[in-house]
Amino acid sequence: MDTKPLTPESSARHTFRFEGSAGEYFKIWIVNLALSVVTLGIFSAWAKVRSKRYLYGNTFIGAHAFDYHAQPLRILLGRAIAVTLILIYSLTLVFAKQFIGLLYLIFGIALPWLAMSSLRFSARNTSYRNIRFDFEGDYGGAFAAYILWQGLAAITLFIAFPFAHRARDYYTINNHCFGSMPFSAEIPVGELYLIYLAGLGAFLSFIVGGALLGLGFSWLTLRPVLSTVTAVEIPAYVLGFLTAASFVGARTLDLALNNTRLGKAFWFESRLSGLRMAWIVTSNLVVSLVTLGLLYPWARVRRARYMASCISVVGPAELDISQAAIPAGGSAVGEEIAGFFDVDFGL
Amino acid sequence: MSILASELSGFYFPPGSSRCQGALAHFSPDGETLRVTANGALLTEAAARDVRISSRLGVLSRKLEFPGGGLFETRDNDGVDALLEGRSSVLARMEGSWRLTLASLAVVVAGVAWLGYYGVPTGAHWLAMRTPPAVARVITAETLAAMDNRVLLPTHLPAARQSDILGRFQRVARWQPDSRRYLLLFRNAPDIGPNAFALPDGRVVITDQLAEMSRNDEELDGVFAHEMSHVIHAHGLQSVYQASLVPAAIAFVTGDASQAGHIATILPGILLQAAYSRGFEQQADDDANAELRAHGEDPGRLANLLERMEQATCTKGVCLPSWLGSHPQTVARALRLRHGLTH
Repeated sequence: MDTKPLTPESSARHTFRFEGSAGEYFKIWIVNLALSVVTLGIFSAWAKVRSKRYLYGNTFIGAHAFDYHAQPLRILLGRAIAVTLILIYSLTLVFAKQFIGLLYLIFGIALPWLAMSSLRFSARNTSYRNIRFDFEGDYGGAFAAYILWQGLAAITLFIAFPFAHRARDYYTINNHCFGSMPFSAEIPVGELYLIYLAGLGAFLSFIVGGALLGLGFSWLTLRPVLSTVTAVEIPAYVLGFLTAASFVGARTLDLALNNTRLGKAFWFESRLSGLRMAWIVTSNLVVSLVTLGLLYPWARVRRARYMASCISVVGPAELDISQAAIPAGGSAVGEEIAGFFDVDFGL
Repeated sequence: MSILASELSGFYFPPGSSRCQGALAHFSPDGETLRVTANGALLTEAAARDVRISSRLGVLSRKLEFPGGGLFETRDNDGVDALLEGRSSVLARMEGSWRLTLASLAVVVAGVAWLGYYGVPTGAHWLAMRTPPAVARVITAETLAAMDNRVLLPTHLPAARQSDILGRFQRVARWQPDSRRYLLLFRNAPDIGPNAFALPDGRVVITDQLAEMSRNDEELDGVFAHEMSHVIHAHGLQSVYQASLVPAAIAFVTGDASQAGHIATILPGILLQAAYSRGFEQQADDDANAELRAHGEDPGRLANLLERMEQATCTKGVCLPSWLGSHPQTVARALRLRHGLTH
């Protein structure tokens, strides 16, 4: 980055801070969860907004925190549409399999729109210091990033997958802005290849390690080989996938952030560790499962705290810009449906 | 509205700007207008009812959004609540109380238990019992089409053996209320091994491997009675509905739709479905047990066959632990069959 306009002396590093506490978040989470249960899920839209407000409102840069402004009714509407679509999908899957191809085609056409509108909804409902974020990506860009590039990755047996990953990052990052300041990223694809190869290696080492462990165990205990190896391979597969996915997720986010600028004066620095993140995600999952979900708020706070502590904005000491129009709205439908089909959008 | 003596201290952001300055917020003397001032200079003012005040949430800063886009931010939560004169959020008070938190925990546990034990099974049962027979036929045809010539191959059983077994099948079918809906299919299934299964519309598949394993055809009577019980209670359809109701219930309860596909919610879902399946198997065993006894046959013969089936599959190396299995443990099933339903 030779175009950085600032010398180190005139710039300041603003590191993110997460100040939420597990106990406080637990109380908020469980009270809202109880209300969601009692209202058969209707309150869950309000619960979601409260939970997000708490997490955003405790994420600080300097003396100020982020804020989340979504209207619960819009989320409820999005959720109602999402549930209807899920119902259509599962009923078609069971009762009218011959139409499933048509349904996939419709979803394929709708997916970029869902991605686009959920990104816009999140961005427009997020603010920092009285300034809203915005997302200006269009349908064509989403279609290229989510359908064309993913298709190309699949055709090339995922050899082109890092390119598809980069296309998606470009679509999400380069269309975001904070007030009038645009985000822009320039990601070296070679490093993405290295990250994905390392992730693949981590996954394979879990599978091979699991097989060796199972063999050794069956040799020691004289149990049937196949059933022992199977018993070890199932958790090894789950752990391996989780580790590799969170490792790749953290490293690619780190790479993207380190190559992202905000306006002309700011850029990002990240020192997210792939291994540390894999450990946090995996142990969070185990702890949440073992405590039947009770420590989920603790796990979420722990992850947010680590991630915030690794990310900084570098630029002039005063984060201050003037902008006028605050776009209102966006659609909650996209985010809700995307959530249901678990397509991981966003940065 | 009474006049507020105190004032709130915080920051003020002018419309559309991120540059803030220290400021005070307070009511006008008539109590109708909210004003933001700094060093005595008026920064903004608006009718109190037009100012959007964010609800209390933990120790987060409160935001007073003025109509023009100005924003006053303060950490003085109690001050804002006093300003609202007790109209502070009930929710915030609930979230602040450990006693109500514990009550919420009890509600969540009870709600989840109710859904798991009663809500989902009852919903699935209700739907399955109201599913038209035509749908059951479509599902059956599709299941068979997916399995035939892949894991289910044409039978190798001699015709005479087939007609013996068919005779027993029809005899057991006559014990059932709607005996003409049952149809027996023979298939060679080396990959599945000794087994039998019922399809939603009343067709029952028996593998050559199971037919060859039975030493006594009375053992097969128990198998058929068991499978016909699955058909009567529409267990197959119920599983289909459970498979979609479980994730839906989890998504609703957690209040986060994206959790539906997450591994932390898929895993409990799998365990729950396995538990439901074990319940179905027990019900089918119990029905078969009662029917065999009513017709003067010994359910212990079905127990013998089950034990041999388990031996055959376990030596091949795939024996799941009971909490993950779709069937109760064979030891328990055999005991219950041999000694009646009280065990």
